[in-house]
Amino acid sequence: MSLEIQNLHVRTEDKEILKGVNLKVSKGETHALMGPNGSGKSTLANTIMGNPNYEVTEGRILLNGEDVTEADPDERARAGVFMAFQYPATIPGVSVANFLRTAVNARREEPIKVKEFGSMLRANMDLLRIDPDFTRRYLNEGFSGGEKKRAEILQLAMLKPEFAVLDETDSGLDIDALRIVSDGVNALRGPEMGTLIITHYTRILQYVTPDFVHIMLNGRIVREGGSELATELEDKGYDWVREEVAAGAA
Amino acid sequence: MPPSFLEEQRKAALDVYEREPVPTWRRSGFWTTTLRHLRLDELEPRHYDPVDSFEELPGVVIDALNSEELAGLIVQRGASTIYTALDDSLADDGVILTSLERAAEEHPDLVERWYMKRLSHEEGKFPAASAAFWTGGAFLHVPDNLKIENPIQVVYVIDEPGTAQYAHTLAVVGQFAEPYLREYCLAPDFEGQALHAGGFELYCRPGSQVKLAHFQDWGSGEIYDISTKRVEIQRDAHCGWVPIHLGGHLTKQTLDIVTAEKGSDMRHNGLYFTEGDEHLDLFTTDLHEQGDTTGDTVWKGALTGESRASYEGLIHIVQGAQNTNTYLQTHSMLLSPKAKADSIPSLIVQTDNVSASHGGTVGEIDEEQVFYMMTRGIPRREAVRILVEGYFEPVIGKLGDPPLEALVRQRIAGKIAAAEEHVEEYIEQR
Repeated sequence: MSLEIQNLHVRTEDKEILKGVNLKVSKGETHALMGPNGSGKSTLANTIMGNPNYEVTEGRILLNGEDVTEADPDERARAGVFMAFQYPATIPGVSVANFLRTAVNARREEPIKVKEFGSMLRANMDLLRIDPDFTRRYLNEGFSGGEKKRAEILQLAMLKPEFAVLDETDSGLDIDALRIVSDGVNALRGPEMGTLIITHYTRILQYVTPDFVHIMLNGRIVREGGSELATELEDKGYDWVREEVAAGAA
Repeated sequence: MPPSFLEEQRKAALDVYEREPVPTWRRSGFWTTTLRHLRLDELEPRHYDPVDSFEELPGVVIDALNSEELAGLIVQRGASTIYTALDDSLADDGVILTSLERAAEEHPDLVERWYMKRLSHEEGKFPAASAAFWTGGAFLHVPDNLKIENPIQVVYVIDEPGTAQYAHTLAVVGQFAEPYLREYCLAPDFEGQALHAGGFELYCRPGSQVKLAHFQDWGSGEIYDISTKRVEIQRDAHCGWVPIHLGGHLTKQTLDIVTAEKGSDMRHNGLYFTEGDEHLDLFTTDLHEQGDTTGDTVWKGALTGESRASYEGLIHIVQGAQNTNTYLQTHSMLLSPKAKADSIPSLIVQTDNVSASHGGTVGEIDEEQVFYMMTRGIPRREAVRILVEGYFEPVIGKLGDPPLEALVRQRIAGKIAAAEEHVEEYIEQR
């Protein structure tokens, strides 16, 4: 069981952003995709999810062997893909609890029982140390950066996807919030979920140890390795990767 | 025999009605509300026999009220009051709920004291028409210090084309009383024209706490609604008013709320949803006649099809009404490229030392929000519906009336579903 990206080329308007990306995340694995700003990380996350602003010009996305390149975002979600947004949208007038129930029910034949939903929600809120009042607030309206990220991970916990893409979930978090979110991700990791953590920095990887690390530069994955690659990057910085790639090309 | 003050009023109103031409409302050149398609001379009051039980009421009334527990109910069909019911214990407490016609005969002093105190037949042809021609009508009087939990319900129903319905509701709430008054205007879908020309006046006596809701759904018939509604709030009293407009071929309404004495407070939260070729023209005034008064007005609307909606909201603080605090916001959401919305907040302040602010927006659904919801597995259609409902939710939630909230949500969901393809197409294009 895997989420597989094959030779993916993606453009927005006139600009080609991804120039042939290959990546395979199997269930039970945690991958980190790292890269400097503008390297194409968020484009990859959005394309995996089917954002209509990104056009796939070549290559494909396979979910458990099935081509979902043309599928609508809601179909992908129901098939088991999840993305935690870097900048999640605000949904005015819709409480966190109502939104979660709607999302949970979207992937079920029969609506979830109120009691079952309530106990699942409480358990996950405890896990992420979220205040009970939080669920009555309108989703992301007036949320701090940390609250938004926690709300994203709460959704991840409630929806239990097969594959989760975390797009810069660590950005904008203070150390305490980062620890809570990381603990949450660690608790959700397991043989039933494949995880792709997209980050600019290595600090989340100090809490969530990846099995594989991929470094993206200018729309391509240029280095791959185990968690030690993240440590090396931490010491040497992205300029080191750029120089290596330039040297390799020469 | 109706009392003479009423006959004199009707006569004066008739003079104005006959003198005034059919009006056209124009504003700044680009907004016009015209009645040129209304064939007024083909419409007439229609009379109906009373019914003995709730189950015999027109289906559209039964559907809207479901099996709710009401403190009282008065239903006017066409020109006739067909049903009146009031909780026995409330009648014992001195509550009066009856047709205005009967009230004028049975309680002439009370009616004369309040009738047309805040409305005037001089305001135009249609205010004159309803003052001259009203039949049936509704009269509510709540004695001092009485708290009534369940709604007191007034219903105007039109269920045949060709009907002219002239309506008048007069409500007086005694000192420190706490009732909840609802007025519904309902019609089933039919083909052909009809008119509802209504006057509504509510007086909130000192210290009273009044909840008021208006719910209008005239269906898909060619119904013209030209009405004036006015609420007066006296010393230290409070009124929370939620008018809901969910259907009407052409609606031209003036909705005014007056904080008339010190310490009075008003909350005015309205919503509208127009569809097809409906035309809605609302003018509200938040009038502060004295200082130390407070107000908050929020109106939200959405438009589909080729509908037109104009909301003009005025805050008016008169000379000497110092230390007034009031706010007005209006938002409209376009769900179709052919719909047109106009939101105009305005302000007249004739004194100093007040706090008043206003703002207006016209917006659309954001594709980023739709995408976000879809990534959670929610189909596009449902996402759009949830976003529109969410947009209205802060107003609907203010009702504090679960059955009416459910009715409003259900009707809005129906309207979104009816316009679904157009709405989706529009959002996708953007």
